[in-house]
Amino acid sequence: MSKPTIELPELVSTLILFEIGSTTLFMLGSEAKQDAWLAMIIAASIGLALTLLYLAIYYRDPERDLFELCRYYFGKWAGTIIGLSFIVYFAYEASRVLRDLGELTVLVLLNRTPLLIILLLSVLVVGNTVRYGARVLFLTSLALFPIMILSYLFLGTMTVGTGLIEYEQMRPLLEQGWKPIWNAAFPEIVAFPFGQLVLFLVFFPLVKVRRRLRRPVLTSYLFVAIFLTIINQMNFLVLGPHLVEKSTVPLLQVIQLIEIIDVFERMDVLFVLILFMGLGIKMAAFFVGAVTGLQKITGIGLKKWVIPLGIAIYAASLISPNYTHHMWVGLEKMPPLFLIFQIAIPLFLFLIMLVYRKPNNIKV
Amino acid sequence: MNVFRRFRKNVKNIKTKRNEKEQESVNNDEAVLDASLSETLSILRTRIGTSSDFIIRELANAESGNSQIAISYIEGLIDQKQLSELMEALIAGNTRFSSFSNNPVNHLKGIIPIGGIKAVNTLGSLLTAILNGEAVVAVEGLPGAVTVSISGGIRRSVEEPSSQTVVRGPKEGFTEELSVNIALLRQKLRTPELRIESRTIGRYTQTRIAVIYIQGLANPEVIEELLSRLDAIDTDSVLESGYIEEFIQDKTFTPFPTMINTERPDAVAGNLLEGNVAVIVDGTPFVLLLPVTFFKFFQSSEDYYQRYDISSFLRIIRLFSFFIALFLPSIYIAVTTFQQEMLPTTLLISLAAQREGTPLPALLEALLMEITFEVIREAGVRMPRVIGPAISIVGALVLGQAAVQAGLVSGAMVIVVSFTAIASFVMPNFNMASAVRLVRFALMLLAGMFGLFGILAGAVPILVHIVSLSSFGVPYFTPLAPLRWSNLKDTLIRVPWRSMKTRPAVISVQNKVRQSSFKQQHAANKGPEEGDSSI
Repeated sequence: MSKPTIELPELVSTLILFEIGSTTLFMLGSEAKQDAWLAMIIAASIGLALTLLYLAIYYRDPERDLFELCRYYFGKWAGTIIGLSFIVYFAYEASRVLRDLGELTVLVLLNRTPLLIILLLSVLVVGNTVRYGARVLFLTSLALFPIMILSYLFLGTMTVGTGLIEYEQMRPLLEQGWKPIWNAAFPEIVAFPFGQLVLFLVFFPLVKVRRRLRRPVLTSYLFVAIFLTIINQMNFLVLGPHLVEKSTVPLLQVIQLIEIIDVFERMDVLFVLILFMGLGIKMAAFFVGAVTGLQKITGIGLKKWVIPLGIAIYAASLISPNYTHHMWVGLEKMPPLFLIFQIAIPLFLFLIMLVYRKPNNIKV
Repeated sequence: MNVFRRFRKNVKNIKTKRNEKEQESVNNDEAVLDASLSETLSILRTRIGTSSDFIIRELANAESGNSQIAISYIEGLIDQKQLSELMEALIAGNTRFSSFSNNPVNHLKGIIPIGGIKAVNTLGSLLTAILNGEAVVAVEGLPGAVTVSISGGIRRSVEEPSSQTVVRGPKEGFTEELSVNIALLRQKLRTPELRIESRTIGRYTQTRIAVIYIQGLANPEVIEELLSRLDAIDTDSVLESGYIEEFIQDKTFTPFPTMINTERPDAVAGNLLEGNVAVIVDGTPFVLLLPVTFFKFFQSSEDYYQRYDISSFLRIIRLFSFFIALFLPSIYIAVTTFQQEMLPTTLLISLAAQREGTPLPALLEALLMEITFEVIREAGVRMPRVIGPAISIVGALVLGQAAVQAGLVSGAMVIVVSFTAIASFVMPNFNMASAVRLVRFALMLLAGMFGLFGILAGAVPILVHIVSLSSFGVPYFTPLAPLRWSNLKDTLIRVPWRSMKTRPAVISVQNKVRQSSFKQQHAANKGPEEGDSSI
């Protein structure tokens, strides 16, 4: 059992930045058109239920992280296999974020640099962060938190201030009924980004204050859910249903429309750096989660796993032949599979925990 | 005194191996000296050798003519005035008393008009006393000798600190003399809680080191850790506090300093009051302060003497300069090479026109100019003062204006490099500026290869590294990460003194309250009827 080293502000900021992460790159729930915000709210509510489930698991046994829980409650063999599959899942998510990051760089900043090299540099930077362990990652995201939030606030103010938003686009409400909204929300938006919080089952036991996480975690979850809904809807309201569906990174297109006093014209180039920070933290968090799992299961030190896993993540990020395929896999094909890790296994785990004796009576 | 004992043992070992044939008593520092004066003197002569500054003055007995008292000292280490007082007293005593044999120590204590007198009886302590600038008085028939503290010699007087100047604030700086430095602090902190722990480090230099803190404010764990690290040092020499700093810092492989050095007694006193610990090394005016956080390097002691709003503004300016010094050349490279679309069109055109005539790509141009500047700067520090104007003429005219006119570099690049250089001088602490100089080059290379993405790929590991550092257990990036709300009042901004009710929470763990409320106190003093007046 590792010593708790993380403080509440760090957890809150990491959770928020993790959720923002790569989410703002995409237009979520575009099937639902102007009702995307409803799809977001529905998905966020399901995500809230999931968050409560993860918290409930933590509260029943605040000493063990995800991998230890699996091994303890599922038995050694089944637990190890489930733990390994979680590692694969985390590493895969990390590789997806890495690919997003690389594609974004090629798209906006370095059109002529090979993707391979950009991915390599990114995985090196993130791997270096992972090497220091969870505590330093959480501290780093706390240090970046003010920059990120202020930038998004600035962005929001500018978008509203320069009169880019057309509120009429919100109507008509429920044009096609609830069906497309539900289809957009489940499983896609639940699996990405809200259900990804399952990763924090690895980190909750590292927090110094035990059993007082409920309020901060739920508050920051609600904050980030509302935040993402607003940003998502903002994209739609600025760009309109047709453009938003076709553009690769709608948010950057929105930013390009902002023009102030001729000097700040291409703020998208600066804002892409803010996006990178979110992406980096998300990737590093998944990476740390996977490495922690390997450390827990094999007993070999965390630092030794960084390089092999980094290579694996690097390789996995190259699976898709192009970005369209990558997006299609991530937003349409994979979500049902992701839900196994985000809903099915945690739920099963919680049921077993309910059947088990109270953890207080168990000697470790 | 572990180190000291180890030192003596080592010397003993080396010596015994080398001169096995010599007498046992000459080599054994623990050996107790016997009562014979001539024997004591001959042992001293053998150990210190025939150095011309080692002086033995013998006083003969008036009746027998044999030497009865001997004073030995090293010429440059003692105070001549005190020495002559000592001599006078001894000569007078020598004529008055025919024999010292009957309890000579008390006799000596009775006639010597100087405070620090101690009887010693081993060779080791005798040598230490002589090398520390004390005079040794040996008397026939007394086993051992008496040491008299008359140390002095040439020392610089207290002057204005040359490397850390302020507009408003005390003008005195530390000197090379440990006792003077401690006295400067004692004069500022007149409290019995000011504690001093001494160590002697360095086999050959025998440098005295004082650890100073305020009992009840400093964290006992930090002091304990510091002392144990100091005790672990076993080295030949300590000539400057930089030696100690490198030995005791938490992490060796980092460009960022985890201790502050200062030559300002007021800065040390202020930090001691916040619960920091100071390490004074004899022979240098630079005192180490620990533990420190990253933001401490952007604070000057003057911040507390001038108005809080101006201080806060200056702190933000310093942080801004830090970012300029770190990132400006790399941002210039990245923007002109990769992200030209970021620039407003008019600026872009004028930049392109300038760059048209220059032969080198932006990265090489920037590297060239930065290295040139580093050379000029190093020359400015090392050269003899008289040549100063020549360097500034060459630097300013030839390498600036003329280089642009000759078409070697673009004018914009000269501006970028100069602004970077000036920004790096804004930081009150020189160590942090040096760290920035190193890191800047790495960032420039990354910017030249990958543009803004490269800068980010360089900046993130730096941030991660800074966040992972700690100084004697205190995380380096407090109070931002980990977050300490109460410390933010004296980090990027400084709140008025009236509002500084508590000490920084990370560094001092005990006695957190600094002062009582001025408003309430004032109201209470004035009495109830006019208590709620203007203040």
